[in-house]
Amino acid sequence: MSEASVSAEPARLLGCESCGLVAVDLTGAGAEEPLQHCRRCGHALRAQKPFAVQRTWACVVAAAVLYVPANVLPIMVTTNALQREEHTLLGGIRDLWIEGSWMLSIIVFIASIAVPVFKIGVLGLLAWTVQRAPDWRRLERARLYRLIETVGHWSMLDVFVVILLAATVRFGPLASVEPGSALLSFAAVVVLTLFATWSFDPRLIWRGADATPSRAEAVA
Amino acid sequence: MNDTVPPPPSPDAKAADVPELPRPRVVQARRWHVSLVWLVPAVAIAIAASMLVRSVFLSGPRIEIEFASADGVEAGKTDVRYKEVVIGKVTAVSLRDDRKRVVASVQLDRSAARFAVEDTTFWVVRPRIGTAGVSGLGTLLSGSFIGSDGGVSSNDRYAFVGLEAAPFLLRGEPGTAYELRADDLGSLDVGSPVYYKRARVGRVVGYTLDPVRDALSIKLFVEAPFQSLVTRDVHFWNASGIDLSVNASGLTLNTQTLTSVLAGGLAFERPPGTTRGPAAPENAVFTLYTDRRSALAPPDGPAVTLRMVFDSSVRGLVEGAAIDLLGIEIGRVRSVALEYDGQRKRFPVEVTADVHPLRLGPVRSALLRDARGGTDADVIRRLIGNGLRAQLRTGNLLTGQLYIALDFIPGAGRSAPAAPDGFVAMPTVPGTLSELQPQIADIVQRVSKIPFEEIGKDLRGTLARASQAIGQLTPEAQKALAEVQRTLNRAQASLESLDRNVTDPNASVQRNLDETLQELQRTSRSLRVLSDYLQQHPESILRGKPADRPLPQR
Repeated sequence: MSEASVSAEPARLLGCESCGLVAVDLTGAGAEEPLQHCRRCGHALRAQKPFAVQRTWACVVAAAVLYVPANVLPIMVTTNALQREEHTLLGGIRDLWIEGSWMLSIIVFIASIAVPVFKIGVLGLLAWTVQRAPDWRRLERARLYRLIETVGHWSMLDVFVVILLAATVRFGPLASVEPGSALLSFAAVVVLTLFATWSFDPRLIWRGADATPSRAEAVA
Repeated sequence: MNDTVPPPPSPDAKAADVPELPRPRVVQARRWHVSLVWLVPAVAIAIAASMLVRSVFLSGPRIEIEFASADGVEAGKTDVRYKEVVIGKVTAVSLRDDRKRVVASVQLDRSAARFAVEDTTFWVVRPRIGTAGVSGLGTLLSGSFIGSDGGVSSNDRYAFVGLEAAPFLLRGEPGTAYELRADDLGSLDVGSPVYYKRARVGRVVGYTLDPVRDALSIKLFVEAPFQSLVTRDVHFWNASGIDLSVNASGLTLNTQTLTSVLAGGLAFERPPGTTRGPAAPENAVFTLYTDRRSALAPPDGPAVTLRMVFDSSVRGLVEGAAIDLLGIEIGRVRSVALEYDGQRKRFPVEVTADVHPLRLGPVRSALLRDARGGTDADVIRRLIGNGLRAQLRTGNLLTGQLYIALDFIPGAGRSAPAAPDGFVAMPTVPGTLSELQPQIADIVQRVSKIPFEEIGKDLRGTLARASQAIGQLTPEAQKALAEVQRTLNRAQASLESLDRNVTDPNASVQRNLDETLQELQRTSRSLRVLSDYLQQHPESILRGKPADRPLPQR
């Protein structure tokens, strides 16, 4: 199984992510770290994304911070002929639950609360394990990463709903919906988690791992 | 960038295994030790902090308000409003420890911090349908809210006891409060409108019934700028409902606006003829009249009680019927009662009435001057001595309503019947209708006494005898008729001869008469000539006729 054990990084090789051309890694050859580009397509060649963990941490921390006002402040302000109501995220979910729209309530809960919290938590976990516990459950961590990469953008659902409502419900004094100040924070949370996911480099999970076939391969 | 390929570095052992692989370009790049990406969480923290700080600093004090019930008060939804401006929101509703009251925690806005002072009041505004109209209708759909009236005290306070209903007078509301003394509340209620010339200018803000003094006082509030209309001499009356009265002057329907018909109300006005004086001071006390007419009537002054006894039926005379002196209404019937006259075995009707001599106006002062220091009662006694009498008259033929007219009846005596103290006994004369009634009855009675049957019998006998007498007369009558015929024939013959001798133009009498007349005509003509001449020449009577003037010579 010696062929299977060849991994690009330890072999000092670089694969172009754009065109697939494999090149020799020149890192460490000069005094300065070289910025290497693919000879064929010009795409930047990196053994790993630069400052991946730092960037991920930065985005995760920013997302976590902004998550507080996103939940505390009103995300939507509905005005009808008689009153003006401010809805927070959790308040809206609770209202839906009380009114009996349990499915809708669960969907909104998953999209707006569970997914962002999960993503922030998972990204934090991934970044932390890369730095402190690189050997811990690599396969599960890789799966978690793929999962948050897939579901990440679904959290924008809430933002789109509010924006659509605000755009369509405009009946002057009778009824109108305005986005609340939490909407911006919430959108920033979602975007920041997307950035965090994108800046995280899954190859870091596997740094220092041996080439034993994973269970996933066995299943496949 | 740089197309020149740098010299390949010495490949290490592993790279030597793949010698044919191309070598990447190497570009020198500056190296950051701390990524700029940390600016992102820094900015995020700044934004989040500013948002939270703003929302924390924008909120004012938290207060707690106690209510008897949390009906309509919902945590997170119920607003606290002052003049319909939201100044806070209920954040939690909980029971007090002893479970008797409900405590609503309210987060006031920053700008409403000054509402957390001692004399601020709070109450729950719910939809209310009362006699004063529908209020709080907006809350039907929007839910209740907590109304407030901001205090002016400088002492802070954070726990309040809520009112059960909205206060009817808000602090600082421009206007003036007045008080009314009333006998009867009618359909008035707190919130009933106050009208001036049928325009709404205020409202009833409360009433108190003093159980000790048995006095009802109504508090009313006239909104600015109308308080200047309330002068000392205005009269208030109860404008509630419909004033429908049937009396001697017919059917009277008097209403205020439809709202006050349904919900009651007050109205005030200056009596006609008075000039507008200075505005009444705050909390001035007025009397509440029962209706507009009594409110605007000229002041009645003290009443003189009359006692009248009528022998005829007084059906149609009700309490309150008018007492009328030569067409001027000066009083009202107070009571009508049946009495028993043991001597005459009759049931006379005793009517007492209040008359107000002040209504006579200047006449009264003239009468009092005549009476030389006498009272109103003395004046009336003097008038009775002059022949003033009470008489029942029909005021309205359709309804049969009666009124009592005081009138000078010619031929009335000077005597006045005795009356108990405090009353003036007013002698009565039968009414026009009641006077007629016994006369007609008398006539009918007399007519019924005529023996029409015997008269008929006698008449028939007379006729029989008459025809018999005529029968006996017949032969003599024929003879007499023949004689008459003859006489008539002779008379005709003499008339014909007379005609012949006199009226014929050829008759001698006629001819002589004609000649005589002509002679007379001539005589008169010459007489005229003579008189004309004498007029021109009167001297000719003495001197005779002068000789004719000689003809002029040519």
